Amino acid sequence: MKVLVVEDEALLRHHLLTRLGEDGHVVDAVADAEEALYRVAEYNHDLAIVDLGLPGMSGLELIRTLREQGKHFPILILTARGNWQDKVEGLAAGADDYVVKPFQFEELEARLNALLRRSSGFVQSTIEAGPLSLDLNRKQAFLNDVPLALTAYEYRILEYLMRHHQQVVSKDRLIEQLYPDDEERDPNVIEVLVGRLRRKLEGDAGFKPIETVRGQGYLFVEACR
Amino acid sequence: MRKSNRSSSLRVRLMLGAAVTVLLFILALFPALRQVFTTALEESIEQRLAADASALISAAQIIDGQLHMPAKLPDEEFDLLPARQLGFIYNDQGVLLWRSRNLSNVVINYKPKYDGYGHDFLRTKGVDGREFFVYDVEVDLLRGQRAAFSIVTMQPVSDYKTMYDSLRRQLYIWLGFALLLLLGFLWLGLGWGIRSLRSLSAELDDVEEGRRDSLSDDHPRELLRLTRSLNRLLESERQQSERYRHSLDDLAHSLKTPLAVLQGVGEVLSTQADNAEQARTLQGQVNRMSQQISYQLQRASLRKSGLLRYQVKLKPLLGSLLEALDKVYRDKQVKVTQAFAAELRVPVEQGALLELMGNILENAYRLCLGKVRISARLSKTDCELIIEDDGPGVPTHQRDRILKRGERLDTQYPGQGIGTAVVKDIIDSYNGQLFVEESELGGAQFRILFPLN
Repeated sequence: MKVLVVEDEALLRHHLLTRLGEDGHVVDAVADAEEALYRVAEYNHDLAIVDLGLPGMSGLELIRTLREQGKHFPILILTARGNWQDKVEGLAAGADDYVVKPFQFEELEARLNALLRRSSGFVQSTIEAGPLSLDLNRKQAFLNDVPLALTAYEYRILEYLMRHHQQVVSKDRLIEQLYPDDEERDPNVIEVLVGRLRRKLEGDAGFKPIETVRGQGYLFVEACR
Repeated sequence: MRKSNRSSSLRVRLMLGAAVTVLLFILALFPALRQVFTTALEESIEQRLAADASALISAAQIIDGQLHMPAKLPDEEFDLLPARQLGFIYNDQGVLLWRSRNLSNVVINYKPKYDGYGHDFLRTKGVDGREFFVYDVEVDLLRGQRAAFSIVTMQPVSDYKTMYDSLRRQLYIWLGFALLLLLGFLWLGLGWGIRSLRSLSAELDDVEEGRRDSLSDDHPRELLRLTRSLNRLLESERQQSERYRHSLDDLAHSLKTPLAVLQGVGEVLSTQADNAEQARTLQGQVNRMSQQISYQLQRASLRKSGLLRYQVKLKPLLGSLLEALDKVYRDKQVKVTQAFAAELRVPVEQGALLELMGNILENAYRLCLGKVRISARLSKTDCELIIEDDGPGVPTHQRDRILKRGERLDTQYPGQGIGTAVVKDIIDSYNGQLFVEESELGGAQFRILFPLN
């Protein structure tokens, strides 16, 4: 998933960037609200982690602005004071959950995954589509209960397509899921990865859930639950 | 006694003072009025008796040095019964020479002393105890010849007494009526004067309940100094608490963010087998510092204002809080019932009440199976808040511990165990009481009592 991190403290920002990256997310980490607004305008994020105590434009204003701009991705706030005034204001401004500093990464991770699941309409930590099932916590795909050997990039593409099942997903959008910045933006890479993924899913049973929509992108046709 | 004096209103006090003053004034005035009235009455009686005496003198004839009175006097009063007007004539030796005809059955032991000049006005008692006014004039009817007489006229005091009593009754009635009228006007006047104090009191209520920021200038000159000083005090308190809040925000941010970094470093270190021990120590200390900072900051930010007495409406505050909690615990679909009057106000400052309810309700949301109930009610002496859930409840042996500073029952999320300690602190600072009990719903019941001032 593509995650936006807005935190002014460089060390904490770096820590989040590293840990979330290790978790298989593509992380956009910025130090202030203005930069965050620029990134949001340029890319499609799946979730944002916003520190309330930002210099300049506050985290609260950033959340309000994002919601006014019609951005619907879940927002998790980081609050230093941890008082209810901040939490209630943050949630009323449009955030979906909060974590009080200092936090254990596992706690942040659990809340973040819950928000991602919820935002794509899945309450459980597994997504199922016919013989295919995805364990979101272990980041493992199973076909007829047999573990599938997928690379990290293949898994990310599959998870993204399944979360956005029955919707056309553009190649650009998939590229954003794989790379943090503009570099290496080669649509051919996506074609190669999707081709490999299709072959692994097809296996012996002939399961073909991913279709190509000419000139637009890909479509996961099976209903997921 | 002292207590009832302190609590009685200014208007009643002024009224009592004024009433006592007016009453004393009238009581002092009364003998003087009575004296003036008596004097005037006696003077008129004296004049009347003098005129009677003159009538007797003019009727008297001296023939050969002997007094002769006509059989029929020009003034018939001396002949009428019952005897209201009596006449006597004595010689200079005090021997009675003549008496009016109506006196046949009246015996009066009056002996004039002849000294040759002047007249007397006095009272005397008859043998039967009746009292009379006496006018005694001494005359020499034959200028130089010896024809000296004491002419004495009398009138019973009882006639005068009736008139006096009736006048005194009238005086009582009129003075009483005047007293009531005066007190009535005083009451109205005091009400008018004190109305400005009432309006000031109403404005203060508005300030205390947050309906206005400061007192207006629509007050009498004498009060303006007071209201302006109060306004300055309110403003300075507001600014100070604002500055204080910002400083605490900055302090929280500048302490907790580095702790978050340290927490992260600890987590990374803990994955390396060599450093696992040190990492655990580091994380433990970070947790401790974090809890202490959170607890002290929350405590500091919740200090009670000395100037304002807060009355916060529970319903809207709970509304925004429950909306926030519903968002965070969306998957749980907690069913919350609220049982209290829509207008109910809690005597706690907004921020403190939000922290209090936030901390208790988050525990309830986290631990419940699906039901939370919030009830509140006001009695004459206190405001009671009850928060219940259908979770596992708090075991008896942990109920006391839950209320101690920084004590936490579960360690799932760091930095949040201070919740109940902050709750206890807020309740203590408002002289309230907290009871941890078992709920009908099956879980914990937090019952809070705030005294009403």
